[in-house]
Amino acid sequence: MRLKDCHNFNDFRTLAKKKLPSPIFHYIDGAADDEVTYKRNTSAFNDVDLVPNVLRGVEKVDLSTTIFGQKLDLPFYCSPTALQRLFHYQGERAVGKAAQKFNTMFGVSSLATVSAEEISSLVSTPKLFQFYYHKDKGLNDAILERAKAAKFDVMALTVDTITGGNRERDLRTGFTSPPKLTLESLISFAIKPMWGINYVTRGKFELPHLQDHVKEGTSTATSVGNYFSTMLDQSMNWKDAENLCAKWGGHFALKGIMSVEDAKRAVDIGCTGIMVSNHGGRQLDGARSPFDQLAEIVDAVGDKIDVICEGGIQRGTHILKALSIGAKACAGGRLYLYALAAAGQIGVEKALGQLRTELERDMKLMGCTKISELSRKNLRFRNA
Amino acid sequence: MSLNDCYNFEDFRKLAKKKLPAPIFHYIDGGADDETTLKRNTESFLKCDLVPNILASVGEPDLSTSVFGQKIDMPIFLSPTAMQRLYHYDGDKASARAAEKFGTFYSMSTMATSSIEEIANISGGPKLFQLYIHKDQGLTDNLIERCKNSGFKAMCLTVDTVVAGNRERDHRWGFTTPPKLTLKSILSFAMHPKWAYNYFTHEKFELANVSHWTKKGSSIAKGVMEYINEQYDPAMSWKDAEYVVKKWGGPFALKGVMSVEDAKRAVDIGASAIMLSNHGGRQLDGSRSPFDQLPAIADAVGGKIEIILDGGIRRGTHVLKALSLGATACSFGKAFLFALGAGGQKGVEQILKRMRDEIKRDMILLGCKSIKELNKTKIAYR
Repeated sequence: MRLKDCHNFNDFRTLAKKKLPSPIFHYIDGAADDEVTYKRNTSAFNDVDLVPNVLRGVEKVDLSTTIFGQKLDLPFYCSPTALQRLFHYQGERAVGKAAQKFNTMFGVSSLATVSAEEISSLVSTPKLFQFYYHKDKGLNDAILERAKAAKFDVMALTVDTITGGNRERDLRTGFTSPPKLTLESLISFAIKPMWGINYVTRGKFELPHLQDHVKEGTSTATSVGNYFSTMLDQSMNWKDAENLCAKWGGHFALKGIMSVEDAKRAVDIGCTGIMVSNHGGRQLDGARSPFDQLAEIVDAVGDKIDVICEGGIQRGTHILKALSIGAKACAGGRLYLYALAAAGQIGVEKALGQLRTELERDMKLMGCTKISELSRKNLRFRNA
Repeated sequence: MSLNDCYNFEDFRKLAKKKLPAPIFHYIDGGADDETTLKRNTESFLKCDLVPNILASVGEPDLSTSVFGQKIDMPIFLSPTAMQRLYHYDGDKASARAAEKFGTFYSMSTMATSSIEEIANISGGPKLFQLYIHKDQGLTDNLIERCKNSGFKAMCLTVDTVVAGNRERDHRWGFTTPPKLTLKSILSFAMHPKWAYNYFTHEKFELANVSHWTKKGSSIAKGVMEYINEQYDPAMSWKDAEYVVKKWGGPFALKGVMSVEDAKRAVDIGASAIMLSNHGGRQLDGSRSPFDQLPAIADAVGGKIEIILDGGIRRGTHVLKALSLGATACSFGKAFLFALGAGGQKGVEQILKRMRDEIKRDMILLGCKSIKELNKTKIAYR
């Protein structure tokens, strides 16, 4: 199987599985506990059907949308995800440049393996910085300053990782950052020599936003779950979020909002957007899927802030359904991570390109030429 | 396994799978994207149950009904489907003759592999022509004129293919028309020598209705999806549909209507029927199933326009459920195509016979003497 044989999400996943050492593949592919929420995130889209309109004259479709004051050519973007250079040696550079080609937003994680400054010099299109609130307040201030200096357009504070999710696949494979060789994982790394060669020869692994402050993750091996549990500040509250929002002074989002009550509160503290997300099913298993929860959230705050639906998106029709309910845009991690692992920048470009082609086709088949024409009139819920 | 062992859809499908080269089998069998709509089309019939009435002295039930101003002997007919010569060397001729024997509509696709005139010569049964609006208006007009001259009873305009669906099985198998031999597909063609022998020893494959206008699809290996994207007009509008209704002047359906709003509009532009369809799950995946959508459509336009349910029909009971909820008639594509692939004209006759027998048996068990007696009271939702 090669990149040209990848026609959809599952194909990229299959190719990534072939290329990655298994602890790393399962870090991307896995989720919390029994992975119930992870599965539901995608299957939720199947409980609602599309009802198209015909004969609308749909030669040209405009997929552009505006979120956080930024006009994007696509109504979906790349969520911030950690440790990208573990998946492909090009890491964040590949994803950032691919996103730039499609003029959509690119999210950089606090746990990124390429610095905010470097990303900023490579990518001129809209960028989001994802913020983890650490116990070390000096570290928090330093990160904020760096993101500001590097001219990031949006700051997103992740609020659903107050403690590490129970990712049992990582426990089994012994996944840590940086990779630690256990007897079991050694075999897996050994049978994927290309990954190993690239990892060792393409520049030292580092977490540039954190390494001047903490050893964990760079020179001391830690699991991501363990990092959340020990390094992040569990006493983080609404006051802290409000202060951070004020300190940032620009477009600010809370990532990982699920309840209507919290969505309203996000408006109150001055956020300009929220990501409805359960962290890709990787934190609280049994959490409701973003798509299932979307309508309630949109009804409550959709006219006040940008609501982003994040999680489970694998198809153009999934995006179409979320936008029809009232999301301003969609975002996803796995939707580009498998492609990154499969082939670096050209892989991510192929994944984004295919999703754009799907969405364009689906819009035409729905009889819509602009995102603003999508509404709940296009949908019918089953058993309703 | 032979034709005589084929009792139901699955059997015909299995036999067709055995007889057809894989790219061709998967072209029939596949749907768009994740094929969720393809599956739902049939599953949706299981959402409701039939409630029979007993001791109704049914005797021999009358299965006839009227659609497109034509009495037909059974309430289901053959949907228009493209390129039937790929499935069996007799192609459209086999389907047209079989439909005539059973007194129901045969439908011809714009992309048929026999011409309008050829089929008119060999079959006196009721015939429907399916029209695609091509970017070249002359081609559209020419097709309408020829159908009139050849005695076609009805016309339908397909409106759910402004762009081709994402049929990933075709990507994987390199399905093109005419078949292009790739390394992977060549193996499959080699393993079905009889199909290949018949394909090459019978008349040359061509899209007989459009071949004099465009060489695409006949002489150049073109994927169906590519053909749709190049030749069909994505700017097609209600005005274009109205033009075709007027130009045709006879019984006319819009095929691929799903929303209530569009169904009402079909009435307004003078169509006599709509075919409630998502193109067999081959276009917009995630689209609602015709059967799920039927009650809303019947409420809005039932009585004003004929409603044909197209999609997911595998059993006689599916037909009865659709008719009970307000459909005028049903149509099916995949089922008769598998039968065509399995056994040519005999195959199509076999599946029409099975379907007729099932409908008849089910009518008796339901306690209905005629199609008119089917209504909502026969249905209970779970």
